[in-house]
Amino acid sequence: MPRILVCYKWVLDEQDIKIVSLGLSLDVSRAKYKISDYDKNAIEEAVRIVEKNGGSVEAISFGTSLKQSFKDVLSRGVDKVYAIDSSIAENADAYVTANVLAAAIRKIGPYDLILCADGSSDVYNQQIGSRLSALLGLPGITSVSQINCEGDRISATRKLGDCTEVVHIKGQAVISVLPEINSVRIPTMKQVLAAAKKPSEEIKIDALGLSDAELLPKVTKVSVKGFVMNRKNIVFKDANQKDNVSKLVASLAKEGLLKERG
Amino acid sequence: MPGILIYSDNITLTKQLITAGLLLKEKMNQPVYVILTGEQDLTGIANTAADEVFVLKGSNPWPESYADAIANFASTEQISAGLFGGTPRGKDIAAKVAAKLGAGLVTEAQSVEFDDGCLLTTRLLYGGLAVATEEVKLPALATIAPKTFEEAGSSDKQTEVITIEAANELNQITIGETCPVVREGVELSAANRIVSVGRGVGKKEDLSMIGELAQAFDAEIGCTRGIAEDYHWLPVERYIGISGQKVKPDMYFGVGVSGQVQHLAGMRESKVIVAIDMNENAPIFEAADYGIVGDLYEVVPLLIEALKS
Ligand SMILES: Cc1cc2nc3c(=O)[nH]c(=O)nc-3n(C[C@H](O)[C@H](O)[C@H](O)COP(=O)(O)OP(=O)(O)OC[C@H]3O[C@@H](n4cnc5c(N)ncnc54)[C@H](O)[C@@H]3O)c2cc1C
Ligand SMILES: Nc1ncnc2c1ncn2[C@@H]1O[C@H](COP(=O)(O)O)[C@@H](O)[C@H]1O
Repeated sequence: MPRILVCYKWVLDEQDIKIVSLGLSLDVSRAKYKISDYDKNAIEEAVRIVEKNGGSVEAISFGTSLKQSFKDVLSRGVDKVYAIDSSIAENADAYVTANVLAAAIRKIGPYDLILCADGSSDVYNQQIGSRLSALLGLPGITSVSQINCEGDRISATRKLGDCTEVVHIKGQAVISVLPEINSVRIPTMKQVLAAAKKPSEEIKIDALGLSDAELLPKVTKVSVKGFVMNRKNIVFKDANQKDNVSKLVASLAKEGLLKERG
Repeated sequence: MPGILIYSDNITLTKQLITAGLLLKEKMNQPVYVILTGEQDLTGIANTAADEVFVLKGSNPWPESYADAIANFASTEQISAGLFGGTPRGKDIAAKVAAKLGAGLVTEAQSVEFDDGCLLTTRLLYGGLAVATEEVKLPALATIAPKTFEEAGSSDKQTEVITIEAANELNQITIGETCPVVREGVELSAANRIVSVGRGVGKKEDLSMIGELAQAFDAEIGCTRGIAEDYHWLPVERYIGISGQKVKPDMYFGVGVSGQVQHLAGMRESKVIVAIDMNENAPIFEAADYGIVGDLYEVVPLLIEALKS
């Protein structure tokens, strides 16, 4: 019966981020936090494995304002959540994040299976799973679209662009899953209510025994500039679609985009 | 000796990385070391302007099993920069190497420069909403997507190829079957016009209507990630976006595509962008030159008719 840990990131919802036209800076003042999109698939996969094989699912995150995330995470079938809430997360790069998560996992582990998603929706580094496997000395498998667990053996199917590959692992592993591995179920009312009673535990970053150097990012941002789109934005929205269509066709003809007649 | 390391599991990409490495060399004054693993084909590598070529040879053919050996090489040679090919395997290997070296790694760097003792890189953030310029302490690693740089040409020189024995046995991992993904061979990035389908199209059968529209424009069909990866209605090489194909046709025509930033990041350099969506507030209209707000099931047949006449 596997003991599973899912790593999830609590990120700003990019749909709420606005680009300030002056200076192209990002306005995040109206942005809410969410569970990084693909991490929901990682949680879902852990829960499905446990539904089939028994075992337990725990989740861990390194970030800020993590308390707000507990209800959502726990209502998705996770039994317990760990939080490393620290302002250090604000400027952390993959090096620091992996150091912190690996140290915390050494403390609360071992786990039979550690799941990450393919990439986080804010930085999409696609690194944490691989880094964790290296730091923890465990097999690390990425781009996984299917997992089968049997006893202490795991088979993972990877999607690698030009081929698929099946990897058999004996013992513990860190696996990064693709979003197409499953479709995420919406928590039921019962699950949402039960979430309030589930345990959460805060892990203090100071208690992890990491040196200052291990918490100092190797990658630092010099600037972040919003991408601006300068488009004509001519939108036809008459009730009469025939009119709209002829206006559009006329515009496309002017742009020289209609098929040549031969 | 400090140098610039190049590695990809894909040899075409290795040649592109050599170009990037040689550009770095101009400022860093350090040699470019190319690493190949296992049985990778050397053709066209030893006669580029790269300074040294190393072949790591172990008994395990799985590319990922060389992560330790590459990290060992990097720390023995005290490499100051490492450029890795941004394939799924390459990204995994790069991150494992970075963890072993305790180094920073920038994913899908669009540019890499040496500046003031650091690597200066640019990359996309928030699914393409923003571009970040970042500074990476040495040793600094980056993965680079295919086609970011041209392949290095050949030079007169014949670099000596040095083979290094690598211990790459893995006890807990065995590789089972591998299956090539059958590709249609469509090169979407070369298409002049693209009609792109989103989840506004309700059923797979309705794709025939979109096909007719594409034909009326002489366009290729593309799609959003969900159509390919979740619904499997179209092959994965037809999906456009930050994690899919990057396209810049003369015309991109989205049908039932909401225009989330991750999709826009793959098509926003198109010359003309057109969209049909029933939601007036769909972000695609902000990214479009022309659009119609309406039900695609009403608009597309009318449009096909108008284009035919
Ligand atoms: C890290 C990450 C990477 C991603 N990478 C990619 C990527 O590379 N490519 C990509 O495409 N996506 C990517 N995505 C997903 C992306 O965020 C969006 O979810 C996706 O692009 C939305 O696809 P869609 O427009 O088909 O679907 P939806 O967002 O569901 O939009 C459907 C649209 O159809 C409209 N519609 C519905 N019915 C009708 C009708 N009858 N007539 C007209 N309009 C109708 C709706 O109004 C809506 O605007 C990524 C996401 C993440 C988190
Ligand atoms: N701060 C974090 N806390 C917990 N898990 C994380 C964190 N950052 C990344 N991860 C995990 O690693 C995956 C890949 O993230 P990234 O390397 O940032 O693209 C995410 O999908 C999460 O599963």
